[in-house]
Amino acid sequence: MEGPFVASTAMRGRWIRGAAAAVALALVVTACGGGGDDGGDSGSADADAGEVTPGGKVVYGLEAETADGWCLPEAQLAISGIQVARTIYDTLTRPNADGEYEPWLASAVEPNEDFTQWTITVRDGVTFHDGTPLDATVVKNNLDAYRGAYPGRSPQLFIFTFSNIASVDVVDPMTVMVTTKVPWTAFDAYLYGSGRVGMMAQAQLDDPVNCADNLIGTGPFVFDEWVPNQRFVATKNPDYWATDAEGRQLPYLDEIEYRPIVEVAQRVNALDSGDINAMHTSDPLTISDLQAQDESGEISLTESIDFGEVTYLMLNSSKPPFDNIKARQALAFAFNFDDYNAIRGKGILTRATGPFAPGNVGNLDETDLPGFDLEEAQRLVEEYEQETGQPLSFSYTTTQAESTVADAQFWQQAAEDAGMEVEIITVDQSTQIDAALAGDFEAIAWRNHPGGDPDEQYNWWQTGSPVNFGRFDDPDISRLLDEGRSNPDDDARVGIYEDLNRRFGEEVYNIWNYYTIWSVATAPDVHGVLGEGPTSADPFPGLAVGIPPAYLWVEQ
Amino acid sequence: MPVLLRRFIHLVVVLFCVTLFVALLTSMLPGDPVNSIAGFAPEEQKEQIREQLGLDDPIPVQYGRWLSDFVTGDLGSYWTVTGDRPVVDRVKDALPVSIQLMVYAQVLALVVAIPLGVATAYRAGSRFDRGSNFTAFGLLALPNFALALILAYYVGVQLGWLPVTGYVAPSEDFVEHLRRMAMPAIALAVGQIAVYMRLLRSDMIATLQEDFITMAKSKGVSPRRVLWRHALRPSSLTLLTVAGLNVGTLIGSAVVIEVIFSLPGLGSLLYESITSRQYIAFQSLVAIIAVGYVMLNFLVDVLYAVLDPRIRHARA
Repeated sequence: MEGPFVASTAMRGRWIRGAAAAVALALVVTACGGGGDDGGDSGSADADAGEVTPGGKVVYGLEAETADGWCLPEAQLAISGIQVARTIYDTLTRPNADGEYEPWLASAVEPNEDFTQWTITVRDGVTFHDGTPLDATVVKNNLDAYRGAYPGRSPQLFIFTFSNIASVDVVDPMTVMVTTKVPWTAFDAYLYGSGRVGMMAQAQLDDPVNCADNLIGTGPFVFDEWVPNQRFVATKNPDYWATDAEGRQLPYLDEIEYRPIVEVAQRVNALDSGDINAMHTSDPLTISDLQAQDESGEISLTESIDFGEVTYLMLNSSKPPFDNIKARQALAFAFNFDDYNAIRGKGILTRATGPFAPGNVGNLDETDLPGFDLEEAQRLVEEYEQETGQPLSFSYTTTQAESTVADAQFWQQAAEDAGMEVEIITVDQSTQIDAALAGDFEAIAWRNHPGGDPDEQYNWWQTGSPVNFGRFDDPDISRLLDEGRSNPDDDARVGIYEDLNRRFGEEVYNIWNYYTIWSVATAPDVHGVLGEGPTSADPFPGLAVGIPPAYLWVEQ
Repeated sequence: MPVLLRRFIHLVVVLFCVTLFVALLTSMLPGDPVNSIAGFAPEEQKEQIREQLGLDDPIPVQYGRWLSDFVTGDLGSYWTVTGDRPVVDRVKDALPVSIQLMVYAQVLALVVAIPLGVATAYRAGSRFDRGSNFTAFGLLALPNFALALILAYYVGVQLGWLPVTGYVAPSEDFVEHLRRMAMPAIALAVGQIAVYMRLLRSDMIATLQEDFITMAKSKGVSPRRVLWRHALRPSSLTLLTVAGLNVGTLIGSAVVIEVIFSLPGLGSLLYESITSRQYIAFQSLVAIIAVGYVMLNFLVDVLYAVLDPRIRHARA
């Protein structure tokens, strides 16, 4: 496949495989979440935008600061951090409109016949912001840093994420060969890694002190200034290598500034007052209000659940009461999603039937996940109590935000209606992550699994994995994960992951709640939110890992 | 013992108690701070971090280490896998923002509360007095974070008078600086206005019953001069004490207000330290605040003597 900025493609038809950044997104322990109607709206805001007018500035309100900075292999990035990373860095691959991965900073990414070796051809003529050239050596060093094989860098979850890599070798000055331990059909998805597996310049990679705030990439914008809790400013990269589908030089903007505005109401106020001209949120109640503003023409709203995350209640299957399937089923039967949606989501949420959002491989409209049936829930509670001689009681751990506590109270009421006893434990986010890591919980509010290839979820669900927080030990799920990782047949993989989805429904390891809606609201004169695909004007429709800032433009 | 020495001892004792208390409290928090730094790291790496940071040491040892660093001006570091970042660098940027915010809030509160307190005392029982009291109670009942959001919506969004988020340094653009600090300062000041006004009113009413006021009036001194020259000064001692003590309240409120208005001050830094379990940074920030608080109240004590000659003479 040829395009204005992609020499060739190593695509196998496959779906987006966002990646290890799910890691960081797991840190986004369900604060409020969102869900909702299919984004769909994506391109509509730009339909009548007219001709692109380069220049100008966008001030983008983020939901959080990334206090630890952007030493990418080590950084823990949630969506706000990924958005900034995508401003400075490019990834080797990028998803297209169908969620298939295409080369981006690489000019080709090709597997061998049995998917045990991947050849990455580095794009020619690209330089980092410090003027050094992009070549095979720096790509190898970056990949080694991500997988924990580069001196001086200490990645965390990426060690698990890239544990299937046996070696990374430089073949020639512009070619890198990655050899895997077992066939890895979704490796090109991992090179995108939910937009956060960017390529850093050698100088940043080797910086022992300032790696986190000495940002040097090849991306559309050059790092200018970062004042924590205040602003992150980047200016147009005049030597950026990419053009849009019509051959226009990217990026369109002269400057982009990110401002962390933690309080969502203030973020909206800032947008409405013109203090900023773009922002993101996943809070359903806020999105509902923004939809009204969009309809009245005050703002433009782009929203999506495609390839998104799932908001759910994670159950600890390693200890009572949820080591008993009857307890898990009872709680699932007790949960009335329609009421939840009406009360907590203003009716805009879409029920999640499994961990795979629309667009993803393995997504199903129906699974065996129990729906609301209070009598069945009560019957199962009685059975559980007769069987164990214990009341069905559990703790529900969540963060202290008003919205998450309100969610917890909804679940508490639902469970108590079915005869269960629920203690709500509110903790700060760090403690919640501690609890998940240590398995010190019974039920915990959670949000994770942003879109991409289901193989990206491998570590979250594999038996014995330290990040299998629910601690379920299911040979069928482990087998399906292994099969899905190595099977080269697309249709077969669809079947494998649909089976995996159904298995989750049957065993009720988690109670899936809704597909998180991510939305980007802008002033009416700001366009290009979804951008374009790597080789065509059709954009990738997901918003769960931010937007490509190179395509943002402001009417001049 | 000289006042300064006494004050210094007081400062040391307060600092010791506050920081020890913080150290004990943070040690009692559930969970492992290493999980905040490197939650997904392999256990060996976590163990290495724990050892490097001395987290396995007994609490007194950890506290002693922090204290010896602090008194030599080393505020410690933010721990990250990528590398440690000195707290002092962040404090240098954040402290001026918080000081500016608190000074503006305090000045605004006093500028509004003093004339109101004087006027309501002079017209005690009048419709104006009752109205002012009613308003003061209303303002006291309004949480400052709620007021902040209301102000942001009406003044920032609906009227478009002031920007609702962000900070500009005075050296960069002084007018824009004031515009951006206005709403946070108002949100902080409103509750204080009510308290100060009520306090001053009560003291003024008592002072206005004093013989020397009657004497002044009988000598034909104008009511304005009686109020502002004769009655206000002796009535200000309680106000001054409370204004000093209220700095603590202001600091507490500033944490919320700074986060709401995205001001990069000490409040935001404290919030960040708490949410990311940066205990050393948190302890150092609390210590800085404690030092500032004690010193400010020392200043208040000095001002007593300026305001009231009897105290000056008693000390002499």
